[in-house]
This record gives sequence, C-alpha cells and structure tokens, in this order.
Amino acid sequence: MTARTFATIDDLQAGLLDASYLADRGLASVLFLALKLEKPLLLEGEAGVGKTEAAKAMARVLPARLIRLQCYEGLDVAHAVYEWNYSRQLLHIRAAQEGTVSEEELFGPEFLIRRPLLEAIETDEPVVLLIDEIDRADDEFEAFLLEVLSDFQITVPEIGTIQAKRRPVVILTSNRTRELHDALKRRALFHWIDHPSLEREVEIVRLRVPGVPERLALQAAAFVQGLRRLDLEKPPGVAETIDWAQALAALGSHELDPDLVESTLGSVLKHHEDLQAVRDAALADLLEEARVAAG
Amino acid sequence: MPRVSGVVGHVVTFGRVLRQAGLEIGPNRIADGLSGLDQVDLTRQDDVYWTLRANFVTRREELEIFDRAFQAWFLRTPVSPFELSPPTPQSAVLRRIHAAGRPDSAAGTDESPAARGWSYEEILRTKDFGAMTSDEFDRVRALIADIAAERPRRRSRRLRRHHRGRELDLRRTIRESLGAGGDPVHRQYRLRARVPRKLVVLCDVSGSMEAYVRPLLLFVHAVRGSGKGVEAFAFGTRLTRLTRALETSDPDRALQDAARSVADWCGGTRIGASLKTYNDDWGRRALTRGAVVVIASDGWEREESGARLLEDQMARLARQAYTVVWVNPLKGHPAYEPLAAGMRAALPHVDRFLPGHNLASLERLGEVLMGIERRHAA
Ligand SMILES: Nc1ncnc2c1ncn2[C@@H]1O[C@H](COP(=O)(O)OP(=O)(O)OP(=O)(O)O)[C@@H](O)[C@H]1O
Ligand SMILES: [Mg+2]
Repeated sequence: MTARTFATIDDLQAGLLDASYLADRGLASVLFLALKLEKPLLLEGEAGVGKTEAAKAMARVLPARLIRLQCYEGLDVAHAVYEWNYSRQLLHIRAAQEGTVSEEELFGPEFLIRRPLLEAIETDEPVVLLIDEIDRADDEFEAFLLEVLSDFQITVPEIGTIQAKRRPVVILTSNRTRELHDALKRRALFHWIDHPSLEREVEIVRLRVPGVPERLALQAAAFVQGLRRLDLEKPPGVAETIDWAQALAALGSHELDPDLVESTLGSVLKHHEDLQAVRDAALADLLEEARVAAG
Repeated sequence: MPRVSGVVGHVVTFGRVLRQAGLEIGPNRIADGLSGLDQVDLTRQDDVYWTLRANFVTRREELEIFDRAFQAWFLRTPVSPFELSPPTPQSAVLRRIHAAGRPDSAAGTDESPAARGWSYEEILRTKDFGAMTSDEFDRVRALIADIAAERPRRRSRRLRRHHRGRELDLRRTIRESLGAGGDPVHRQYRLRARVPRKLVVLCDVSGSMEAYVRPLLLFVHAVRGSGKGVEAFAFGTRLTRLTRALETSDPDRALQDAARSVADWCGGTRIGASLKTYNDDWGRRALTRGAVVVIASDGWEREESGARLLEDQMARLARQAYTVVWVNPLKGHPAYEPLAAGMRAALPHVDRFLPGHNLASLERLGEVLMGIERRHAA
C-alpha cells in the first residue's frame, strides 16, 4: 500500500472532503504540514469539534492504516507498546520437553503481543497513528511517548531495537484536562480547533446527514450555536449537532418547533442540569433566534 | 524595528517579537517555521499565518498574543507584506544545511554539499544544534570531546585574534562609556597572576534551551576532564549542583546522571532566583571569588519581576567573579539582538557574550576560556 502525496493544501482539503471530513483552511494547512514535515500534530479543542475524526479522515484519504492508542489514566507500556504472551509461553514450555526451551526462543517475536505503538513502528504499511486524549495519560507515559516520537524506535530488551522504516503520521488529541509537557509540545505542530461557524456547521451537518432538509439543518445548527453561548456544564459539540439533525430528520421533520425540541433535546445536552436549565429558561428564545437565523 | 529583507529575516524578527511577548521561541522553532514556509505558498497570507501559528504557538492562551503580533508585524506595512523577496542566499544556505541532514537525498545533485566544496563535517560544525537530527548529533558529540584536547594547540593563535578586538568586552565598554574611572579588571589581572582559575558553569536547562543543554554539558564534561577546579550547576526554576554527576569519565553516563539529578529538566526558567540561590549558597563559600563564571542561557526570564532580580544578582556575581561569560544560543542567529528583558538586564555585568549554538561556537568558547587563562597567567 502506498500513500498518496498531496501537492497543495487545496488538494488535501479536497481529499478530506471526499473522505467526508470538512476541514477549514487552517486545519487543512496544519495537516498538510504534518505530512510534509513529518512532524506530529497536536490537536486541541473542546469536546466534539472533530479532533479524533480528523485523524480518521487522514487515514481514509491517504490511504493509511489507522492505529489508535486511546489514552487513559494508568496507561502503561504493557498496554501501549508490547507485552509478553505469558500463557502462550507457558504452553510452549509445557509442550516442549522440560529443559529444551531456550530463553531466546521463549522471548522471541512470536510471543510478543504488539500494542499500538509497537505496531505503528514495526509495520511496513503507511500508518496514521492516533494518540487520542493524551491528556488523560500520566506524566510518565508522556515522557515515554516523547522518546518514541523523537527517534521513532522502540527497544524490546529481549529482542533489540526496532526502528520505524517510515515515520507514521502522528496525530495527538487533547481535551486539556491538564497541560502537556513543554518538551512534547515543542516536538509537535499545534492546532486549536474552534467550534465551527454557523455556515460551516450547516455544511458539516449536510455532509454527515445526507438528505437532511436544508432548513432543518440550518435551524438545528443555529440552535446549537445559541446553546454554546450559554454557560453550560458541557457545551454541545459538532457530534451533538449531527446526532440531533439525524434524529430530527428520521422523525420526518422539516423545521424546529417547541414540542420537537422539547422531546429531542436530550440528544444535544448530555448533562441533566444543562437540560433542566435550558428547558426552564432559554428554550423559547433560542428557538426564536434559530428561526430568525434560518430566515 | 529594523527592516530586514527576505523571509528568513522576517521570521527571525517575528520570532523575536513573539519572544518578547512571552512566547517561548527558540532557534529550532524558527528553523521549523522556515521549513514549514518552504512547503506552502508564500504569497498567500493565510498560508504564512497557519504555518507560523502551528510552529510558534503551543497553547490556546498564546493564540491571541500570536494574532496580535502577526497583525503588527506582517500586516502593518503599507506595502503588501507578503510580497516577500525570494529566498535570500541565507535561506539557500539553510536549505543546504537541511539537505546535509539527509545525506542520501542530497547525493548526486548539484546542491549536495560535496558539489559546493563543503565537507559534511564542515557543515555540521556550523549547523545549529537545534536543527540537527540525532544521527548528526551523534557525529558531533565526538568532536565536542576533541575541543578540550585540541585547546592548547589553538589557543595562542586564536588568542591574538581576540586581542584584535573581535569579541566585545561588554562590561568594560559599558563602564568606560559611563565614564566610571579606573579599570579594576586590569588590576585584578596583576594581583591574581599564576593562580589556576576556577571555572564555574551555570547551565540553563529549561525548556527553551532543550536543544543546547546536551552539547553544552558535554562541553563542560570535556573541559572538566582536561583540568581541575571546574564546578557545574544546572538551573531551570531552581539550582542543582552537577559537579558530582559529571565526575564519571563516560560522557553519556555523565549526561544521564546530570539529567537524573535535575528535577526541573526542560521546565520553566527563573534565572534571577536561581542565581540568587547560587550567590547565597555558593558565592558565600567563596566559590565565585576569582573564578571564570560561564552562564549558558537564552536569558528568557519567565517571571515578571525576574529582570530586576536578575540584574541585582548579576551585579553581585560580577563583583566577585574574575570574568563573567554569557553563552546564549540565540546569539547564533544573524538577526539576534538581546532585547529580552532578562538578557538586557544581565548584559551590563557580562564580560564576554558568545553564541554556543553550534560546534564552531563551542570551539570559540573553548578558546575564549583559554584566552582568559592565558592573559591572566602572563
Ligand atoms: N469538520 C468535520 N467534518 C465532518 N465531520 C465532523 C467534523 N467535525 C466533527 N465531525 C463529526 O463530529 C463527531 C465528533 O467528532 P470527534 O469525535 O472527532 O470529536 P472530538 O473533538 O474528538 O471530541 P472529543 O474531545 O469528545 O473526543 C464525529 O462523528 C465527526 O464525524
Ligand atoms: Mg475525540
């Protein structure tokens, strides 16, 4: 499998659109630079603005294999890089005659369980390595990751050092639950994804919900944009707009009305308090605004 | 702000503007920004904007500062600022140096260093440490150790050169220009004749110095191996003594031990506060008295009140030290001017101000240190 090359930012932007991802010029530019400069890209932004999807879309457009490392507190080398398959090793010892299994044999490649990072370094295919929600991993893991991203090599003491034959495209995402280490940031390109403008959000909805009535898409997007201006616990992302529009379209509606909003608002606001607050205070105003915006 | 033509000049100056606004932009960031611009359409303002933003900004809070600086620097001139002149010879050089990092990609083309009559080694000598690949750095690290070994042979030749005034003796120049009579520096030369100089090195290991800490410490390690009386400290937000860690003869172990003993490796900077700790704890024990003190730092003081404190502590240090040498990797860039508040505050107390961003400049540092020794012993 060989990955496509893109001569210009426009080319990449068009490619992403074909892959059902609407990247604005800024995002397309930094994705382009990440490819050309072979540098990791750190994407930050509020929940649901399309950080994870950007990496997936890159994998589709290149094309490349998507390898995803989902980070969480306590993520360690055994789950991120490799682990020995102890049960297979034991079986192997048992199957062979006692004392005839050498250590070398036992700690050979066939007993290695490859986790995402090793997989991404070892494979011959073009790879998009998505290191998702890096801010959830611990400091120590981040330091380890920094080393991997510096040399693109991993050392398994029993086997040796494995060097990437080609550098994967690396995309890190963070929700900023904590500040990342400066050294890691210095190694990566940085991009902050803002919530999209109204026009763009409508475009995204129309892209992801084929056949959605235009007026409905516009009103739903405008309504969500209004919600984001409120002081909510968890402001809705593009994901919520898409889900909502999908639900509304499935119900056969062509525009918003109070009852419809009331009964479907749960797919937009996931926090109970948010839902309550909007129902109590803001619903009518937001609806009015959305209707005006849709003309 | 001086007018500089060409992309390199623009970006270097813009980087400086950002640095003053508080962003941490080291020379390697600048180099990254330039390689980024190589990939996009320079006549498009948005391409330039996104490329520099992705390279220079590392957190959301910096976006506003960046935008304001970008407006001020690139959009301020009446002429469209994006009619930047075509890449200057300077950036052609940069590109060649970059190409040298990948020997096979350059091989066979007219652009290859060999075709230009430059040896690979020669290019590496002048390549910014921050722009080196790890392979290149591996080649260079061996040469760093050689600097110490080669010093005696070179010193007399180079010594004369600096007598011809290539290096500015800043502290003295400033003193003289202020008309503060007398020349205590000279008097000290005579008083302290024939005593081997102590050398004290204070190395900034904060994030913005990341690319230079390893070569600088290797240099210190090499110098240490060649003589006695060398004390080394690291500082970021606090001071750590490295002398012990550098005791081993194996440079790699020394580096590892040093990194391990420093808690705030690659973190923030509090130069003034760190110097105060040094002055309080070590200066009082007369470590500074009569010593050549080398401070390696980009002078980027994070704390608001830092410049003031830094100035006071530099004054204290300079009063006791025989000579104060400041090594600032940023100085290796042609358009660098010491405008950062911290650096400006420190300079009046500095005798020699040197770059230290590549191998050639470390050689120069070695010569200067040797020259100080010689001048004084004579
Ligand atoms: N620009 C876009 N083009 C197409 N679809 C998008 C775009 N932005 C977001 N989406 C859609 O929104 C949904 C949410 O995006 P995604 O999961 O990537 O968000 P995220 O930023 O990773 O959120 P989180 O921080 O919660 O992980 C996805 O299903 C994706 O299809
Ligand atoms: Mg995500």
